[in-house]
Amino acid sequence: MSAQKKRNFQIEAFKHRVVVDPKYAEKTWKILEHAIHEIYNHNASGLSFEELYRNAYNMVLHKFGEKLYSGLVNTMSFHLKEISKGIEAAQGELFLVELNRKWADHNKALQMIRDILMYMDRTFIPSTHKTPVHELGLNLWRDVVIHSSKTQTRLRDTLLELVHMERSGEVINRGLMRNIIKMLMDLGSSVYQEDFEKHFLDVSADFYRLESQQFIESCDCGDYLKKAERRLNEEIERVSHYLDARSEPKITSVVEKEMIESHMQRLVHMENSGLVNMFVDDKYEDLGRMYNLFRRVPNGLSIVRDVMTSYIRDTGKQLVTDPDRIKDPVDYVQRLLDLKDKYDKVISLAFNNDKTFQNALNSSFEYFINLNARSPEFISLFVDDKLRRGLRGVSEEDIEIVLDKVMMLFRYLQEKDVFEKYYKQHLAKRLLSGKTVSDDAERSLIVKLKTECGYQFTSKLEGMFTDMKTSQDTMQGFYARFGAELGEGPTLVVQVLTTGSWPTQASTTCNLPPEILGICEKFKSYYLGTHTGRRLSWQTNMGSADLKATFGKGQKHELNVSTYQMCVLMLFNNADRLSYRDIEQATEIPAVDLKRCLQSLACVKGRNVLRKEPMSKDIAEDDAFFFNDKFTSKLYKVKIGTVVAQRESEPENQETRQRVEEDRKPQIEAAIVRIMKARRVLDHNNIVTEVTKQLQSRFLPNPVVIKKRIESLIEREFLERDKEDRKLYRYLA
Amino acid sequence: MPPRRNNPWTLDLDPDLYGIDLDPSDFGSSLPLKKVPNGDIFSASRAGDVDRLRYLLESGVNVNARDQWDSVALYYACLAGHLDAARMLLESGAICSEHTFDGDRCHYAALNLKVRKLLKAFEARPPPLGPLQTALRETFLGCGGNRAYLEQVESFHHLSGVPFNSDSNYEFFPPDVSFIIQGRPIEAHRVILSARSPFFKRKFQVDWKDRKEVRFSKEKLSYSALYCLLHFFYSDRLEVAVDDMEDLIRICKVCKCDSLLRILEKELVHQKYAQYKALGDVDNSVKRFILQGVSLPEEDRLPAALRRMLQIALANSTTELGQDCDSNDLHLLASKMQINDHMDDLADICVRVDKKFFRCHKVVLASRSEYFKARISRIKDFGEGKNEIAVHTLPFLEEHDLSMEAFEKMIEYMYTDCLKDIDPDQAEEMFDAASRYLLFPLKRAVADALLPQLEMVPPAELCQWLILSDMYGVIKIREYCLDTIACNFETFADTREFREMLLTLPPPSGDSSLRTTVPSAPGAAVNTDQGNLLDDLREKWLEAEAAELDKRDESALLFDKRLEMLMIIAEQEKSDETEYPSSNPKGRRW
Repeated sequence: MSAQKKRNFQIEAFKHRVVVDPKYAEKTWKILEHAIHEIYNHNASGLSFEELYRNAYNMVLHKFGEKLYSGLVNTMSFHLKEISKGIEAAQGELFLVELNRKWADHNKALQMIRDILMYMDRTFIPSTHKTPVHELGLNLWRDVVIHSSKTQTRLRDTLLELVHMERSGEVINRGLMRNIIKMLMDLGSSVYQEDFEKHFLDVSADFYRLESQQFIESCDCGDYLKKAERRLNEEIERVSHYLDARSEPKITSVVEKEMIESHMQRLVHMENSGLVNMFVDDKYEDLGRMYNLFRRVPNGLSIVRDVMTSYIRDTGKQLVTDPDRIKDPVDYVQRLLDLKDKYDKVISLAFNNDKTFQNALNSSFEYFINLNARSPEFISLFVDDKLRRGLRGVSEEDIEIVLDKVMMLFRYLQEKDVFEKYYKQHLAKRLLSGKTVSDDAERSLIVKLKTECGYQFTSKLEGMFTDMKTSQDTMQGFYARFGAELGEGPTLVVQVLTTGSWPTQASTTCNLPPEILGICEKFKSYYLGTHTGRRLSWQTNMGSADLKATFGKGQKHELNVSTYQMCVLMLFNNADRLSYRDIEQATEIPAVDLKRCLQSLACVKGRNVLRKEPMSKDIAEDDAFFFNDKFTSKLYKVKIGTVVAQRESEPENQETRQRVEEDRKPQIEAAIVRIMKARRVLDHNNIVTEVTKQLQSRFLPNPVVIKKRIESLIEREFLERDKEDRKLYRYLA
Repeated sequence: MPPRRNNPWTLDLDPDLYGIDLDPSDFGSSLPLKKVPNGDIFSASRAGDVDRLRYLLESGVNVNARDQWDSVALYYACLAGHLDAARMLLESGAICSEHTFDGDRCHYAALNLKVRKLLKAFEARPPPLGPLQTALRETFLGCGGNRAYLEQVESFHHLSGVPFNSDSNYEFFPPDVSFIIQGRPIEAHRVILSARSPFFKRKFQVDWKDRKEVRFSKEKLSYSALYCLLHFFYSDRLEVAVDDMEDLIRICKVCKCDSLLRILEKELVHQKYAQYKALGDVDNSVKRFILQGVSLPEEDRLPAALRRMLQIALANSTTELGQDCDSNDLHLLASKMQINDHMDDLADICVRVDKKFFRCHKVVLASRSEYFKARISRIKDFGEGKNEIAVHTLPFLEEHDLSMEAFEKMIEYMYTDCLKDIDPDQAEEMFDAASRYLLFPLKRAVADALLPQLEMVPPAELCQWLILSDMYGVIKIREYCLDTIACNFETFADTREFREMLLTLPPPSGDSSLRTTVPSAPGAAVNTDQGNLLDDLREKWLEAEAAELDKRDESALLFDKRLEMLMIIAEQEKSDETEYPSSNPKGRRW
């Protein structure tokens, strides 16, 4: 009992139990209140942290937390009111300085108060769901100081004024600005937004609206863009220096809207300095700037793109329809390539390799290249030119580059089959005349075409190469067998061409000279002996021959001529004078070719191994020809070219066209049948679109032609019209 | 007592990851499990013998030890699917982190998804550290220079589960020394390093005595290894990439951390073989090694090291001899003592309590108690700062209203997390100190020490404890008292002190009909965590006495009436007492 009593006594005697003094709370609060006053008056060094903390602790412990808290709110509000008055009284520029100073003071005081009242902060406040001390201090500062009727607008106006000053080029105290803005942000993002950012954005919009108006009146497009870019960077820098990072997208969008978006059209179309002029003058920097700025606003780039597209289309259209250009196909294609290069460069240097711009460029090219129906032919001629002579002494990489560029143009072509036709002709000529510079380049181009258009497209071209190869082998075999037997006779080189792979015309064979005829027959029997079931026919219009000729004064020359020319010349072994009719009769060369070949033998200076009477440029039916004894040449080897039209003449062109159209018919029909087989029933429009889709890698079929093909198929009973709905077609069989 | 504790953490951390939820029933053993009364920790884990396991863990077995087959206890528990055993091991600090040898094995061996989910849940949680280690770890990570490394590592292999408030410029306690290795800083506190390593102790006493910054120019010294070691010094938890282990061993040799060195050397050999046993390179993540403090001998752990520091510091602390010196003399005395310069304790602050000067270490005080953190950083701002006399004296704090014995006990707890032989008489003062200095874990520790004593106390004293525990918010004691009173209500009703107490308490919340119709609604009281005492008492009483739910209203009404009656009696007694002050209140019965 005594021990228990003692313990009880101890506990009751313990200090906290003594707190029954009804004025205890009042007294303690007075001490703390005094301390808070002192802290705000910078007199804290006279206080004892330990004592204050202990007092606050005891108050909370004895359930006077409520009193402590409300006392704190009141005292702090009181001080903040005082501070607010002081700030309001500050004059002019001192206003912000004073505000900043007081804010720093308040923050420091707040931290000290929070530390003193830490026990309350940790226990009483969470359990009663009150605002923690620090947050409370911020809220009070916001409500009492910042939102006081006088300060609120003044603060906003002062800040905006400073920003305006800085925009006008004056130097302002950025540190102070940063502190004040930081204060607004510390008070909560809503305070920053409501009290500053919203107005800041409005004012900025007004400012830039005005400024952009001035600029656009006075500057050209390049300068304007420079200025706009500088302004934009200034704003970004401003944000990084003293605004909330989250404001950046907002303020930049304001600048974008006012400085770029509302003047886009005017900038792009500006007289003498707009987008088109930039293209003309190769102003990559300005273009790049325009791209970067316009990219920031909606529809900005599409405007630039549209202008670019229409400009390229115009230039391209001029180029392809210019009658001067059509005279020189190589130059024509070269100009196209240059144009492409130019815009590729623009897009890569200034437009950041933007895909949409590349697409626009491609579609523009596709548009205007196909405006000229002869583009496929010209491109093939360009390749022919390059592979014939243009590429001599050029490294393989360069060849590849040229070929790649050509392929690019090829891609734009809609009538790829036309290109194929011409390409085949030109290739055949190159191969047969042995004019091709590099087999590798030829093959590489074929590989490119293959990857582009598929196996079908190039199979015949490849067949041509195979024929060349097998012919070589055949000739070797032939000479291995008959070499000794033939002895000193003329040497024959035969190229066996597969019918169908080569662009052969069914031409009448001319009469070969007997010297040749013998060996030809020998070869024929040899070849047919090894390959049964084949038929050989001589394409005399495509061959060539080397002749040894002795002229007056014993001058010897080797003449390189075509087969026709050889036939003509061989006639002069037995006669010195022959009339046109004689020759025609003896050789049976078609008249057009004969005229051409005689022209080249008799009328070209330096090559005139024949003499013609009368001396005139053109060959007439009753002309007579003589062996030109006086022929001289510095060279031993003389090449007598045929007068060939490089470009096709108009009727030839028509003919090729027709052939192409003929070739298309079965392709279209095949496509229709393929589609109908899969679909069974389809209406007209859908067939047309499907066919177009299937064939567009080769050419763009004409709907009218498609319709005709359908009709033809109906006639042949592949399809029929539906009984009820006449628009529907039905697949039969 | 049921084997499972209440569920303090939620296991539904990422429900999309695994479709299953763990519920408490999973932790009950479904089968009659084998008992291994003499088994070691491994066989106990394998058998799922929770009682044996608890006994072993409480007796201080290293939970992360490996047996001769290179397996840890957790591995067996996971393999056999004993959720409760696994959980007990995990709560005792078993390592289950991925990319460690043991952790990966446990994950791989997990019998089913539930076990795996348990492992995941623990992996995501902060490592189970004591309050001391947690506090110091936060201080270490709070230093600006150290945070950079942590963030870098964290982004490297998503070490979730490190709770970290980044907005802690105010929580931050400044370091007093910083090392620069390979151009990168590590910030630290002298006393911690000295306590853990004789090497650092000597250096700080001699070479680096007055230096704030130490630059290491040796190329060989690895930044990450030293960082791991210092982190270990603070938190008693080593987490090191296997690739850094050789560097770490070199550093340990220099620092003379012998026991750690021994373990590391052994582990390094093991890791070489572990590569063959590992589950193949499923991923190329960095393999780690994690060591908990419990793997070290007791004397090499953080609390023991700090205890040694404290003991030296306490030995240097002096008690004031004179009875009534005024404050100037006091400071003179203080300075005399401090100029004496026992630098071997590295104390950097002096606290006067009652009549004794305690030499202490700022970093420990500040890490453990927010009060001291604020106090120390505010020395300049308040009056106490003026008292500095000479440059060489330590900063000086004075704490009133506290006995020096209580303070000594408190700092002992702060340094070592350990509370030895607490006197029940001291308990109240300790509660006061704990709540005043915001040392909430101390409050729990005192409560744990006090609880067994309360079974013996008479009703009158229990009432006192109830009042005290309510005031200081010691929930454990409060619950105990309320339970006891509710169960023996009539005994208490007969006690005068109980009736007296009723008068001092705020009345129970009035409208009983409202409350009782929704008996368990959490929002019924204004204070959710700690309500009105009498409300809680009524609740307890209803639990104990009125079993029938439909009669709760009646019973509650009955109880309220009873209370009212008791209060009237108490009023009478009070007035009687004032009338007859000479009468002996204790012996009176009515």
